[in-house]
Amino acid sequence: MGLDIRIPLGLIFLIIGGLMSVFGFFTRHSAAVYEKSLGINLNLTWGLLMFVFGLIMFLVGRRQKWQDDPVTPRPWERGARPRI
Amino acid sequence: MNLSIIDWLIMLVYFVFVLGIGFALKRYMRTSNDFFLAGRSIPAWVCGLAFISANLGAQEVIGMGASGAKYGIITSHFYWIGAIPAMVFVGIFMMPFYYGSKARSVPEYLRLRFDEKTRAVNAFSFAIMTVLSSGISMYAMALLIQTLGLFHGIIPDAYIFHVSVFLSAIIVLGYIFLGGLTSAIYNEVLQFFLIVAGFAPLVWIGLRNVGGWQGIKRTLPATMTHSWRGMAHASTNTLGVEWVGLAMGLGFVLSFGYWCTDFLVIQRAMAADSEISARRVPLIAAIPKMFFPFLVILPGLIAVTVTSHMAGAGSTPTVLSAPSQSPSALLASTAHEPLDDAHPHGIIPLKTNPVSGQPILDSNGQPVYNYDLAIPVMLLHFFPTGILGLGLTALLASFMSGMAGNVTAFNTVWTYDIYQAYINKRGTDAHYLWMGRMATIGGVALSVGAAYLVTNFNNIMDALQLVFSIINAPLFATFLLGMFWKRTTGHGAFTGLIAGTGAALVHHGLTSPVDAAVGIHGGWIRVIHHYPSDMAQNFWTAIFAFTVNLLVTIAVSLVTTPRPEPELVGLVYSLTPKPVETHLSWYQKPATLAFVVLAMLVILNLVFA
Repeated sequence: MGLDIRIPLGLIFLIIGGLMSVFGFFTRHSAAVYEKSLGINLNLTWGLLMFVFGLIMFLVGRRQKWQDDPVTPRPWERGARPRI
Repeated sequence: MNLSIIDWLIMLVYFVFVLGIGFALKRYMRTSNDFFLAGRSIPAWVCGLAFISANLGAQEVIGMGASGAKYGIITSHFYWIGAIPAMVFVGIFMMPFYYGSKARSVPEYLRLRFDEKTRAVNAFSFAIMTVLSSGISMYAMALLIQTLGLFHGIIPDAYIFHVSVFLSAIIVLGYIFLGGLTSAIYNEVLQFFLIVAGFAPLVWIGLRNVGGWQGIKRTLPATMTHSWRGMAHASTNTLGVEWVGLAMGLGFVLSFGYWCTDFLVIQRAMAADSEISARRVPLIAAIPKMFFPFLVILPGLIAVTVTSHMAGAGSTPTVLSAPSQSPSALLASTAHEPLDDAHPHGIIPLKTNPVSGQPILDSNGQPVYNYDLAIPVMLLHFFPTGILGLGLTALLASFMSGMAGNVTAFNTVWTYDIYQAYINKRGTDAHYLWMGRMATIGGVALSVGAAYLVTNFNNIMDALQLVFSIINAPLFATFLLGMFWKRTTGHGAFTGLIAGTGAALVHHGLTSPVDAAVGIHGGWIRVIHHYPSDMAQNFWTAIFAFTVNLLVTIAVSLVTTPRPEPELVGLVYSLTPKPVETHLSWYQKPATLAFVVLAMLVILNLVFA
């Protein structure tokens, strides 16, 4: 298949992780939000971890695709996708 | 439940990606091969993750959390002894025949190896079961959304159930219609990572709260924190099964019958890019599978350890945990009383009547606890807004993939094994691709129907569970003999399969669990034996069905003419050249991976013995 799963996987973790860490960053001083999680800012820490995981997946997916690209692209791939 | 905008945003991102993957894959779906088999081009690790995700539907996540809360760490037998050995076996010994025979589905393998009638039995029973399972998944999801009040205040309460059913149906339909099996597999991989990302912090924070594993051990009775203690006799462990029944019934017959023959999971391995990859798929899947008890069973244990109210015992037949063909679903059907009266309930909520809001009492006037809510309640208890959205996304993702797995298996079996075999033999490939898309619509529509059937007749769940177990119980004997004994004939396989199913029925009709009313739980012919629990009865039904199938198949095969040996090359072990592995280093060979997996399994069992 022409789509490497690591690209959407990386992207979804980048976006969700990014959302969570930004939200966590702005709420870092509000004790009320983190009362449930025993005072730990799960959004910021876990969000950042997810962001890093997403970044790695995304970059690996992009690299791998470039390496695996067939020498002569198959007809339906020709011109459809910009060369990386 | 109050969700903020950030929680909704996270869920929205997930659903955009789910459908986006379908759209991105649409242009690669040119032949029926692309649509039903993902073009046989998926790397082993992707198929491996899809292999366990497809099985990790609603019944797993909700049911396992519930059983963890009810029975304790002993539930992990359903993951360890009840899955890993079978996954190793299918990868090492059976995959060369499924993949190498070029069969496009498991029923098609039966036609190649045996004959048309054996295939027909398997194809029809499988098609019906997948549609029903998918409908049950849908029902469970809608019920959970309703119970949690996810859409409360957004749409009128009376419509929440219907909106949930139709929304999930449309999303699953959308991405499978567009991208076929590839789309389902890719979404299962997303779901795998989301479940890990959503549940790992939950377990971490939960363990922190209760003082780690040692804290759980101090609070809960010893039978709940040891997986092998008291297995010598049925009355001394929480499952009510002795070790022979567990090892033979669950560890051998049921687990091998599911993991080695169920097209729902085998289809994921058949999509791999080479035979060697296909053999690695179940082995790769076995590694995360082994550790899943820590993500789905442990939250249940934590939920009962977190002290908020301690009360007398009371256990309840679970409503949410859906039956399926998977052996682990057996847990859901058993309404077995925990052994000790001091069993704490932690934050497990009382079961309430959905209409009046009053707590439901059992026949002794004791309140009934809703163990199915163990994991959802944990999410609400520990997760602040933000990560709560992630936790709910993980939960929804598991429901969706449970449905999608069944729908992709259904459309393939319908198109190749029913439509092409009996209705239109000479269609063009484009026609079968079109048929596959129509079968997807049909499958989803039938699932919605099944979901409403379950809604209207609540005790239909027990009946379905029974039918699934009776149909699946004898199946493995047919495959075992077919693959490893060249003398097995088509007539033998067919008679054996029917006899095995009949034996399961008769055994169920003649035995009954202790304290169960005669009827759906067995004993409807005459009770000649009492089992200590539902689960013990289930395991022994399977053992009987398997044995009868094995003996009848052998007997009939010996008096009928076998097929000539040249026809069976590639289908039977002794006539097929062994897979060439000389180009692989020792550490690349599937056998090495298999030994690593088995060694890890032994270590885990020793640690939690």
